[in-house]
Amino acid sequence: MKVLVPVKRVVDYNVKIRVKPDNSGVDLSNVKMSVNPFCEIAIEEAVRLKEAGTATEVVAVTVGSSASQEQLRTCLALGADRAVLIETDADAQPLGIAKALKALQEKEGAELVIFGKQSIDGDNSQTGQMFAALTGMPQGTFASEVKIADGRIDVTREIDGGLQTVSLKLPAVVTTDLRLNEPRYASLPNIMKAKKKPLDVVTPDELGVDLTPSVEVLSVEPPAERQAGIKVESVEELVDKLKNEAKVIS
Amino acid sequence: MPHGLDELFSARALKRDPDTLAQWGCDWTRSFTVAPSAVVFPESVEEVVALVRLANESAFALVPSGGRTGLSGGAVAGNGEVVVSFDRMNRILDFSEADRLVRCQAGLVTGALQAFAEEKGLYYPVDFASSGSSQIGGNISTNAGGIKVIRYGLTRDWVAGLKVVTGSGEVIDCNQGLVKNATGYDLRHLFVGAEGTLGLVVEAQMRLTRAPAPQQVMVLGVPAFPDILKVLAAFQATLTLSAFEFFSERALTKVLAHRDLQRPLPESVPFYALLEFDEPDMDRAMSVFERTVEEGWVTDGVLSQSEKQAADLWALREGISESIAPYTPYKNDLSVRISLMGEFIEEVDALVAASYPDFEVCWYGHIGDGNLHLNILKPADLDGEAFYERCHAISPKIFEAVRSRNGSISAEHGVGLLKRDFLGFTRSESDLAIMAALKRVFDPNQVMNPGKLLPG
Ligand SMILES: Cc1cc2nc3c(=O)[nH]c(=O)nc-3n(C[C@H](O)[C@H](O)[C@H](O)COP(=O)(O)OP(=O)(O)OC[C@H]3O[C@@H](n4cnc5c(N)ncnc54)[C@H](O)[C@@H]3O)c2cc1C
Repeated sequence: MKVLVPVKRVVDYNVKIRVKPDNSGVDLSNVKMSVNPFCEIAIEEAVRLKEAGTATEVVAVTVGSSASQEQLRTCLALGADRAVLIETDADAQPLGIAKALKALQEKEGAELVIFGKQSIDGDNSQTGQMFAALTGMPQGTFASEVKIADGRIDVTREIDGGLQTVSLKLPAVVTTDLRLNEPRYASLPNIMKAKKKPLDVVTPDELGVDLTPSVEVLSVEPPAERQAGIKVESVEELVDKLKNEAKVIS
Repeated sequence: MPHGLDELFSARALKRDPDTLAQWGCDWTRSFTVAPSAVVFPESVEEVVALVRLANESAFALVPSGGRTGLSGGAVAGNGEVVVSFDRMNRILDFSEADRLVRCQAGLVTGALQAFAEEKGLYYPVDFASSGSSQIGGNISTNAGGIKVIRYGLTRDWVAGLKVVTGSGEVIDCNQGLVKNATGYDLRHLFVGAEGTLGLVVEAQMRLTRAPAPQQVMVLGVPAFPDILKVLAAFQATLTLSAFEFFSERALTKVLAHRDLQRPLPESVPFYALLEFDEPDMDRAMSVFERTVEEGWVTDGVLSQSEKQAADLWALREGISESIAPYTPYKNDLSVRISLMGEFIEEVDALVAASYPDFEVCWYGHIGDGNLHLNILKPADLDGEAFYERCHAISPKIFEAVRSRNGSISAEHGVGLLKRDFLGFTRSESDLAIMAALKRVFDPNQVMNPGKLLPG
């Protein structure tokens, strides 16, 4: 079984985001970039499937600039067999990405495609679902556990009220939630081996897709700053402030 | 009971209740008597001056108190002293981008200075596990080091100016932010590491620097301790390290038992080295790694792929102190020259094993600075007092091993009460006499933290 894992290069989860002074976007200079954490979980799951003998090949793919090769090398170091970069400098958006991945899937014919449930830059949570709709594959989103047997995949999903398990016929699409697994560290010998693993670069043109964004970003604003708290000297003062300033009691 | 405090301080700034006395009367140590008579929370330099004058007139002693994370009892008040807390002098007073200087009050929390620097696109590099609580005044008074010393040096290197109220109540402004100042004795440096025995640091001008590139963290498995030093030399010859720490498998086992963290390497190895460096140096670091493997010094290694993994790898090192706390360890913070660490560890291991073969010894430390943290864990079946008694019996032997290598009996945790009586192992008699004379100059009536640092 071949597993395709789309991943994304994003600003590291632990970096404090700074907005550019002209509000045109997020400042990316001197900022740590990483594999989107949910995508890292997707890679880990695919590699575990391979280690368990269920998957035969793990292919990591990303749509992005040539700098994204760095994140693909990480995936290769973590255990993916080969990687594909669909190279574009456009600010690709979920629909365009889903279309590009569909075109790639037509060539790859993977039986399982594991996405992260969302990427932490745009927080859209759309690409996996759009891809499933475009390809007509069944989808199990927000997976906290997957089991594969007899040409089917059972996906346990985290939903508001608890857990739901859906059974999908392969080929299928899964998107990962945080509790699916804990990604491993990349070992240094594997990072070295990863340098020799194949990483193909294709253009959107070659795949026959157009990644021109259909949504235009007008302005990016940081969240409003929280006001500093104050200390009060007495209970009376506290009650007075809650009543007359905060107006939360009457 | 000291007189006159009520006239100087409002009820809000002067506390005598048992809880406050117990809490503000001690630092991170737990083995010393805690018995202050009062705790004061001054809010201005004028209040501090008035307090010191009063202490001189009414003959009571003062114990300066910062974030109380000190590990040597420097901020412990055990003899009815008045504790001077800087908790309410915690403001940033000004910032100059051109000078890259922050002027702050002594009570500013280290982490707050780091955060302020980050906000300005700059960096304050002194960092350690307690920086969320420790204060700049405390860091200066202990010349705190931490995990970035190998690249950025100690607190001393970041102090560009100090305002101090001396033990006689004089206010002196040392250096005032200058880079160059060739006008004789630089008094500033006397107060760095003085542990509050010469005066109270009330304000500081701290230097900031350019923010570093994103960092990468590597953990390497090293079977033989002497090879860690070869690994260090190999990396340092090729790139700038931001940190180089080590810990033993024994220390790692304790952390993994205590916290939900992944083992860094699939196989256990007797020692681990943790390195941090700038991401752009990645390729060079990989080629050094290859060489260390070819040489047989390193068996395996991992590299962080995200800040979270970097933090998790750091937790393996920074979590040690906390995870061995239940074993109420006997701790010692020592330094020798880097080249002598291998034989030193061997000698101490042998010393402990010869006297107490059932004691577990746990080593870790800032090895890139020649700084070792020795921890002897208490066996479960031995009671605390008997255990400490036995450890204290070998202390002099350990200090002798340090002395014979021209090392120091305290690398970065200070002397305080803990090591006062051992100071003579690594400071000469003339050193001690000069230190005592200096103390008399700044603090003629012995009001500043008496009984700390200097042997009586
Ligand atoms: C988990 C943990 C990890 C640590 N790691 C490190 C490390 O890696 N490196 C390191 O160097 N230390 C380390 N320490 C020790 C400690 O954090 C440092 O010594 C720190 O600098 C103490 O600062 P503080 O504000 O807590 O000082 P305190 O403990 O309050 O006081 C320390 C000394 O300074 C004096 N003092 C405090 N404020 C003033 C002032 N304004 N004027 C004059 N004297 C004053 C006190 O009297 C005392 O002698 C660690 C401690 C803990 C608990």
